[in-house]
Amino acid sequence: MRDVWISGAGMTAIGRRTEPLQSLMAEAALSALLMAERERPDAIVVAAMNPEEFVGDGNFASNVATHMGFAEVPTVRIETATSSGAAALYAGFAEVAAGLHRTVLVVGGEKMTHLATPRVSELIGRSIDPYERLYGATMPALAGLITRALMARNAVGLREIAQVAVKNHANAAKNPYAHYRQPITIEDVMTSRMVADPLRLLHCCPISDGGAAVVLTSDRIGVRIAGIGQGTDTLAVRHRQNLTSFRATQVAARVAFAMAGFGPERVDFAELHDAFTPFELIALEDIGLIPVGKASRATLDGETALDGRLPINPSGGLKARGHPLAATGLAQVVECVWQLLGRAEGRQLEGHTALAHSIGGLATNNWVTVLERL
Amino acid sequence: MIVAPPASYCPRHPARMLPTELPGAGEIVSFTTLHSPPEGFKSPLHIAIVELEGGARFVCHGAETRGLKIGSTVAIEAVNNVYYFSSLGALDRARIFWRRAGRAGDRVNSIAQSLMKRVWKGKDRAGL
Repeated sequence: MRDVWISGAGMTAIGRRTEPLQSLMAEAALSALLMAERERPDAIVVAAMNPEEFVGDGNFASNVATHMGFAEVPTVRIETATSSGAAALYAGFAEVAAGLHRTVLVVGGEKMTHLATPRVSELIGRSIDPYERLYGATMPALAGLITRALMARNAVGLREIAQVAVKNHANAAKNPYAHYRQPITIEDVMTSRMVADPLRLLHCCPISDGGAAVVLTSDRIGVRIAGIGQGTDTLAVRHRQNLTSFRATQVAARVAFAMAGFGPERVDFAELHDAFTPFELIALEDIGLIPVGKASRATLDGETALDGRLPINPSGGLKARGHPLAATGLAQVVECVWQLLGRAEGRQLEGHTALAHSIGGLATNNWVTVLERL
Repeated sequence: MIVAPPASYCPRHPARMLPTELPGAGEIVSFTTLHSPPEGFKSPLHIAIVELEGGARFVCHGAETRGLKIGSTVAIEAVNNVYYFSSLGALDRARIFWRRAGRAGDRVNSIAQSLMKRVWKGKDRAGL
């Protein structure tokens, strides 16, 4: 297997965008190609969770490739619900590692804010088990069930899950690409509208538009993908014995670290899938970045803040950078690459090793990617 | 693994599933109240995951979650193919405890059934 390097990384500003999805993805892709100093990739992998419903376009690999002027470049589309961006990275990684292509462009994006919120919730909710959906289960509802179980079991409190939001908004305030750039207080979170008891509005990520892209190459340049792993679990949340940790994350981390040949102790900072703030605490422990039972204490103590021992979500995370579904898994990697190469102006961290973690559906198809600057 | 509703294959193994029966009482695994439920549902929408004895987990609706705790014993019953949970009184819990204490077979089933009937009579009076 060949080593795979990320030679270019780019993304759009995340938020409420008026451009069509194809244009957002082209903007991200061209900025990644510019950084990689490549005019044209040998192949393209496209990530889009549901462009058929969100924007009404199908055959989306060819659609995006043609829009960018790459109609003659071989292109495929990859989908694993909300982790599609990370899954596309894996497909691109495999193409380069196998020697099928030397340079692969991986680009993801989603456009949702032009639709009414209930419609967006319903479309995202289609990734939930159909039987649970019959009972009105939405992503926030399932996250609410998980949060209550977490609070009953691990001494995670309302203050801890609010602090994750406060921290990630503070980080996003320093990120010009973030959806929400205003800092918030614990009070703001704890008095925001109740969504799915005990989760309130400010525990949840926003609905965002945007695109993100990376250029992968077998040439030794930029940041190396040291390890990449997938973990899966049942579609139905009720079929899982344990609600307070995610098997899919644990397996993905194990596989990624096995490929990297080192463990979580070497990670300097990470981008974690905080679609709902308790998920950041769960991921910290599932990946092994923080010992089991210690994630909330570490968060309250500031260990995961930008100036802490282990900065988490320097971009602002899904919570505040925003969550344009299939762009997210790649936006996390873009942030890690920029940080590792000293391009994260205003929020620059020290470090050689970064980790990105993406959740698909309600933790049915998760990914962990370990990145290393040599 | 026992799953509900009936499935052709075990979610974790490509093995055929067989039908089984369980008493309609179990424990609350978790619960939430949805304040902006999807179209077609009334707000607030109370949703719980209930684990029956034997391990099958059901998603259920409920009339309220006041006083409910994770681990609370509840009865579940289907109305028009939708499962609802309801809290059990002290007498009902005593009956379940007594049943657990060592009875088996038909006797257990008949008690479980009478328990469910009792609970549903109670719900009728509450106007549900």
